This record gives sequence, C-alpha cells and structure tokens, in this order.
Amino acid sequence: MAATYDAIVIGGGVTGAGVARDLALRGRSVLLLEKGDWGGGTSGSSSWMIHGGPRYLTFDWETTRLSCVDAGHIVRIARHLVHRCVFLLPVLPRDRNGLEQMDTAMEVYDRFQPLKHSHPHRRLAPEEARRLEPGLTDGLLGALTMEEWGVDPHRLVWANVLDARNHGAVAANHSPVVSLLRDGARVVGVRYRQGGAVCDALGAAVVNATGPWAPRVGTMAGVRIDLRPAKGIHIVYDRRVSNYAISSEAIDGRELILVPHGPISILGTTDDDYYGDLDAVPVLEDEVAYLVQGMARSFPAIGRYRPVRATVGVRPTLFEWRRYEDDLSRRHEVVDHGPAGAPGLISVLGGKLSMYRLMAEEAADLVCSRLDQASPPSRTATTPLPGAAGEAPPAAELARAYGVPELVAARLRERHGDGVVALLEERRGEARRVVCRCEFLSEAELAHACATEQVTSLADAFRRVGLAAGPCAGTACLERAAEICGEVLGWSSVERSDAVWERLEVAWRGRAPLLDRWGWAQEELAYGARRGWRR
Amino acid sequence: MPRGRAGATVRLGIAYIGHLIRHGVFRTHLVEAGTVAELYAPDHLTALTANERERLPQLSRCVNCGLCALAAGRVAGFRPGDLPIGYLRDYSLLPGTVLPASAREALAAAAATCPTGVDLPGVATMVVRLSPP
Repeated sequence: MAATYDAIVIGGGVTGAGVARDLALRGRSVLLLEKGDWGGGTSGSSSWMIHGGPRYLTFDWETTRLSCVDAGHIVRIARHLVHRCVFLLPVLPRDRNGLEQMDTAMEVYDRFQPLKHSHPHRRLAPEEARRLEPGLTDGLLGALTMEEWGVDPHRLVWANVLDARNHGAVAANHSPVVSLLRDGARVVGVRYRQGGAVCDALGAAVVNATGPWAPRVGTMAGVRIDLRPAKGIHIVYDRRVSNYAISSEAIDGRELILVPHGPISILGTTDDDYYGDLDAVPVLEDEVAYLVQGMARSFPAIGRYRPVRATVGVRPTLFEWRRYEDDLSRRHEVVDHGPAGAPGLISVLGGKLSMYRLMAEEAADLVCSRLDQASPPSRTATTPLPGAAGEAPPAAELARAYGVPELVAARLRERHGDGVVALLEERRGEARRVVCRCEFLSEAELAHACATEQVTSLADAFRRVGLAAGPCAGTACLERAAEICGEVLGWSSVERSDAVWERLEVAWRGRAPLLDRWGWAQEELAYGARRGWRR
Repeated sequence: MPRGRAGATVRLGIAYIGHLIRHGVFRTHLVEAGTVAELYAPDHLTALTANERERLPQLSRCVNCGLCALAAGRVAGFRPGDLPIGYLRDYSLLPGTVLPASAREALAAAAATCPTGVDLPGVATMVVRLSPP
C-alpha cells in the first residue's frame, strides 16, 4: 500500500530541501526524494556564495533586492555555516567598467547591503590595494571593497533536510523518481526506486524542484517546461590563494571571481548554453584555460597554483530568447501546472542559491493553498537551522575538553554549530583519531555522518564532511575511510575496496581537465599505491 | 521611470551623474589598507606579506606522499606533511603553533626527501608567523 503525504517534493538540492523544510515546519507531512545525493547537482557546484548580485543592477534591480533580503534571512538562520567574503574589486586600464562607474555601482549596492548585514564599500588607492593583497597586478587604477557571504552549499542543503526530518518529513536520497502517478489528468503521486525496490507514494501535491531536470519531470506529466540551461564550471584550489576574494575581467568582458572559503579557493565561473546530457556534463580544458587566463589579468600568480579539481553544474535559468547567457535574469517562477493539464503538479523554476528560502516559501504557500486544511504561515525566515540556535564553544576549548586537534575542533564547529558538543560526547573514543589529514576530519565525524547523515558512499562523505577534499585527493585517507564507513554501513571487504575505486574514478572526472605536472605525479601516486589490488 | 532593463539603465545613469558631481565637488574619499584590515580583523582575514605571497605556490606543492614522515618521523608533535597540507591551508583558523629551533634541522632533513621540492622549514616559518600568540 502506498504511503500518503500532504506533499511530495522531487529534488534534493537547496530549493527542494527548503520546500520540504518549510512544509514540515508548518506541520505538513512531506516526502522528499533525491535521485543522487543531497546537494549533488546544481547547488553543490555553485560558487558557494549567498550573494546579492551587484551584477544584476545593470538589468534587474528587483533580483538584487530580493537576493539581499533573503540572504539576510539565511545569514541569520544558518549563522554557523556562513562566513563573510570580502571582495577586492581591482580596476585596470581598459576594463569594461572604469573606476568611477564601479564606484557608482557600489554606491548603489550599498543601499542593499544592510539587508544582508554587510558594510558599505570602501575605495582604495592602487598601492593600498596591493598592501592588502600583494598578489594583485601592477598598474591598477584603484580598487573597491565589497562584501558578500560564503556558505558550504552541501552543509546548507543537509541542514534543511535534517530540519525537515526533525519536523516529521521523510527524506530519501539515492531514490530516483521513475514516473508520476495519475488519476485521470491529476498528478496524485510518484513511483520511485529505493535500493532494489520500486515504491509508490501518494501526495495531494507533487513539487518539481529538480532544477535543470525540471523539464524531464514535466515530460512525465505531459507538460512542457522551457528552461535556458546554462553550464558553469569552477576550479577549486586546495588553499587560500588570496587573502581577499578578487574579481577580474575575462577576455570577453565577463566578470570572474576568486573566492577563499576556509581552506580552499574557488575560481569561477563560465556561463554557456548547454544542450547535452545533464547527468554527464563535461569540464573542458579550454573552459579551465579561460578562467585561469581571466583571473591572471588581476592576479598573475594564479597560474602557479595547483588546482585540485573542477566542478560543473547547470543553472536552471528561466527561458528567454536571443539574450546573451550572462544577461539572463536570475528570477524564479513557481508554476501551477493545473491550467496546462496536470493539476497537482507544481514546479519551482529559475532562481539562485541566495534566494532558495524565498523560492521555497512561495512554493510551500502554493502547496498549502491547494490543501484542504488551513496552514500557518512560513517560519523559515526566523527559525534557525539545526546547529544555529545556540553558540558552540570555541575550538580551543573543545580541543582541550575532548583531546582533539584544534583544527579538527574548528572544522566540527563550522559544520555542526551548537551540535558539536553532542557529537563529541557521543563519540569520545573516535574523536582524537584523524582520518583525513588534509581536511582534519576525525573518525568520529565520519562515523557520525554514516550513522545519522545518510552518507552511503565515499562520494557522499566528500559532500557531507569534506572527505578527501584537500591536497592529497584521497591518496592517504580513502582506505581508512572505507573501513570506517564499512563498519557503520555493513560493507563487505569487497564493497570497501569497490568504494575506494568508485570514489577515485568519480574524482578523476573532475581532476582530468586541470592536471599539471604535479597533479599527474600525484595521480600516479594515488593509483600506484593501489596497484595490485585489482585491475 | 521605465521598468525592467531600461529602468535599471536609467537609474544607474542618474546615480552615475550624481557620483560624478559629488566627486567633482568633494575630494574622493580613499581609505588606507590598515582601515580595511582593521574592519575585517574579526573575520580572520590575515594578510600574507608580499614575500609570503610570492613563495606560497612553491610551499603548496605537497601531495601528502608521506616520504617526509618516513624520513623524519614526528617533528615537535607534527607529522611534517601536516604543515603544508593542513596548517598552512587555513591560516584564518591556525591554532597557536610553536616549533622549537631543533625542529628546523629535522624539517630540513624531511624536506630533502620531498619529491615535489616543498621547503618545509619555509612552511614552518610561515605557519609560526601566522599563528596567533
């Protein structure tokens, strides 16, 4: 017999997780389904920014305003997950926008900054900018500062999933929807795979929050959804390449950004129409070269750093004809497909990470309006996500109390907020042992992720707790990690070995386009260390 | 006032004219690097020096092969490879780190085995400078 819910949400990116959380907080029964892992699609391959988007001031002030308002909410409800990103915007001769134009844009943007708890911009002379960031090129005309917020999108998605579950939602990753159930024209549920089983679930509303995959779900219901999917790649460096986040103009005049997020830096992004397979989006060497060349204009040393991987995602941009990709609006739409012949199906289209909460609220409002009983208003703007309600002890104090390295404590604190003490109490014995030395990931946290955070593979562990995300790309830690995960998840020795190879092969796809001589040497090392196991 | 893209262009244009007038009448207000650094000190935006910035790519080549640990064992409680792959990476979170002078010799010996040529004593110097007291 099929389980029945008020709503079934398809898509476990930040929007889908946000919709599930919103409905669960209103007391609605929800099933959230994700075909891969939480945040494994567009959300996870973003720039890791909760930003207002000053770029949109040139064509869409309303998106900038809404982004800033919602970013303000997200910063409050997820305060342990966000960090301030301070940008230096260097202006060079022959830039598309001169110093006074940039200063004007920042003056305008300053009006929105208080909405997201940020300071107004500052203007620096060239030599002062280079004092702050010695890697900047000579010949600057000047520079401006600007603030945004950074976030680990994987943890943000998980925090939403966790809170939805804490409020009664059922959430299942690795559970692809194979078809929609219909009663006449009405969409009344979904059929999905879970493990080897095929399951049915019924819902008064089915929410399609699958980002660029939305047209595919629309097809299941016989409705046409038009998007303008746009591919974006990012290059990830294994350390803080710059003190401040830096913007730079690419060869075609587009703006690129290099943003330090804790121990890594992310350089992005491209923005190209994409018509290919959404489940196998390639990273091309010329895209990598485009990004490095563009950033080298402002920050020449970038070419000397060793990137560790590239990420790629497809934006679910709203359809517009004849517009250059970069000029497309980042607006969103919540669509009721009733008039198109599929009542019961609602799609959330377009938008961006920094507006996920607002998109989720609007979708949940529409779902509630279709239900029989009255629902309370959304509480997601003010209710803290798990970990953000209280204050976690400082890392040094945790390190002393539990005998863990201070960097381990710092990482735990960043990911779990005020939940860190409970985690350390629960797994005292394992907390001291470090499994991934690059990321200072403890065995305790990895085991906790397998036991309670729906980690079912080493790739899931990479997303949830940063396993093998650092300089060694898993050379030193994957075997031990497979043992720990295998112990919790009941893997056989063959399954543990398979898990390591699977992770290496998945990681290879992101590493292949950007290996330099040191990267190739490392790849040899990683594979050589395992030669003889098999193959 | 037109809406949409045209409206955005008009509003930015008006703001630009206002900006030029203000900056024509009043002197452009420039801030010093120290003011910005002070503002963001609570966010742990520690600035590297020009020399450190120049050397950072070379100090970052560690691939965690483990040869240095084989050669030198633990140095002052650290595995030598932890310095470039762990402590040097997130200096906004660096715990107070003290390395005795004797560690330099051991690190130099460890560095001699490094296949990517990471200057471990150089890394140690930088880590110690960046660590809070």
